[in-house]
Amino acid sequence: MNALEIKNLTKTFTGFKLDNLNLTLPSGCIMGLIGENGAGKSTVIKLILDIIHKEGGSIKILGKDNEESINLTKEDIGVVLDEVGIPECLNTKQVGKIMKYTFKNWDDSEYGRIIKKLSLPDDKPFKDFSRGMKMKLGIAIAMSHASKLLLLDEATNGLDPVVRDEVVDMFIEFTRDENHAILISSHIVSDLEKLCDYVAFLHKGRLLLCEEKDRLLAEYCMVHCSSEQLKILDDRFIKFKKVSPYGAEAVALRSMVPAGMPVSPVSIEELFVFMVKGDEE
Amino acid sequence: MKGLLLKDYYMTIKYCRSYLIIVAVFILISLFSNENFFFIFYPCMISTMLPITLLGYDERSKWNEYIGTLPYKKSQIVTEKYLFGLIVQLFVFALIAVSRAVGMNIDGEFVWKDYIVLMSLVFILSCVSSSVCLPFIYKLGVEKGRIAYYVLICIVCAGGAVATNVYTLEVQKNISLNMALPLLCVAGIALYVLSWYLSIIFYKNREYNCG
Repeated sequence: MNALEIKNLTKTFTGFKLDNLNLTLPSGCIMGLIGENGAGKSTVIKLILDIIHKEGGSIKILGKDNEESINLTKEDIGVVLDEVGIPECLNTKQVGKIMKYTFKNWDDSEYGRIIKKLSLPDDKPFKDFSRGMKMKLGIAIAMSHASKLLLLDEATNGLDPVVRDEVVDMFIEFTRDENHAILISSHIVSDLEKLCDYVAFLHKGRLLLCEEKDRLLAEYCMVHCSSEQLKILDDRFIKFKKVSPYGAEAVALRSMVPAGMPVSPVSIEELFVFMVKGDEE
Repeated sequence: MKGLLLKDYYMTIKYCRSYLIIVAVFILISLFSNENFFFIFYPCMISTMLPITLLGYDERSKWNEYIGTLPYKKSQIVTEKYLFGLIVQLFVFALIAVSRAVGMNIDGEFVWKDYIVLMSLVFILSCVSSSVCLPFIYKLGVEKGRIAYYVLICIVCAGGAVATNVYTLEVQKNISLNMALPLLCVAGIALYVLSWYLSIIFYKNREYNCG
């Protein structure tokens, strides 16, 4: 079953249009939604949750239309928003009590375990938390009510490298269950590179690419050569290129690059930057 | 909805203690100030302000967006605020009712009819003041909805003056309000229900800014 199916999703704001977005996230997988600030990542997550209303298209969450009993579907969704949104005066204990009366499947012991694992204080008010601690609390809530789908909006931003690594491991562990899935948005591509099975590039409300990460990395490579050498390569096999007086760089289909031409593996970040620039040109 | 009520309780204890103290002080003063009904009507207004203050804090902490990720219907989210407001108002109303009874007895002027008239007026004013603001806030947000707050203050001041005059007329000139008061009470309840209904509609149609 697909955890998430988005078809022809459209939404317009003043100066922004999310244009015919199509995404499918299979269960058991992690998809990274990559885009610059203002690309529409948060809009997509809020549309999925019906916090804002779509103008066109359809969204299915765990096989159900998102406008049909969305409050029941939300029992199975753990969400971390960019701004976590916990009232400033509350501490982790109080938040736990509130969530206990909010989610039917709330697991107090799991919440306590994650709070302890992420070294969050029991009685410090939320307003005194650092951004990283706020994110950790959001993650603890999202993972303590037997969620099947996690929607994470910039959830790893603000975490120090050690904690980020721990959190990434928690997410990977979460998707070991084939009924679980994660959609995580970020503009810090390195986080997603380690984590994701699928990547989707969003630029100014348009989906530039949605592909299996390993396939993408295997299929493409980065060519470093002179602009003269680059002419040997057929334009059809070049996804994007950057030519300067000092040389040329291009993302190209690995299988079509002539032997002897200097190549290196392409990273998701490079792919994203090249695609965005190519799109703008 | 229990979770939301608990959250608002925690927030009231933390942020709105001063409101509760003001209510207590005003009610205490009203015991010895039978001529000035400001000390009775003002605690009513304060209690109706509580849900609005809480909505302000919700907006500041972005809880108003986060709540959209939790398994609540939009109608439940609005209903909880009305319910929490109602609980606080009933509590304050009960305090006023007791203090008035005590105040009238201290002065040796306790008359059931006068007492019921006064409490009916307090009840009507409570209903009106709590009904005015919330639909505006659910429609426009807390910042713009504050305009409604100023309208409310005018209503309460005018209403307080009218209620004081009505009460004085009733007591001093013995004008009968036997029919009008129950009707006004029913109208007050109807206004409250209408306000709740409108707030749900406005909240369902409201969208928060997205990045």
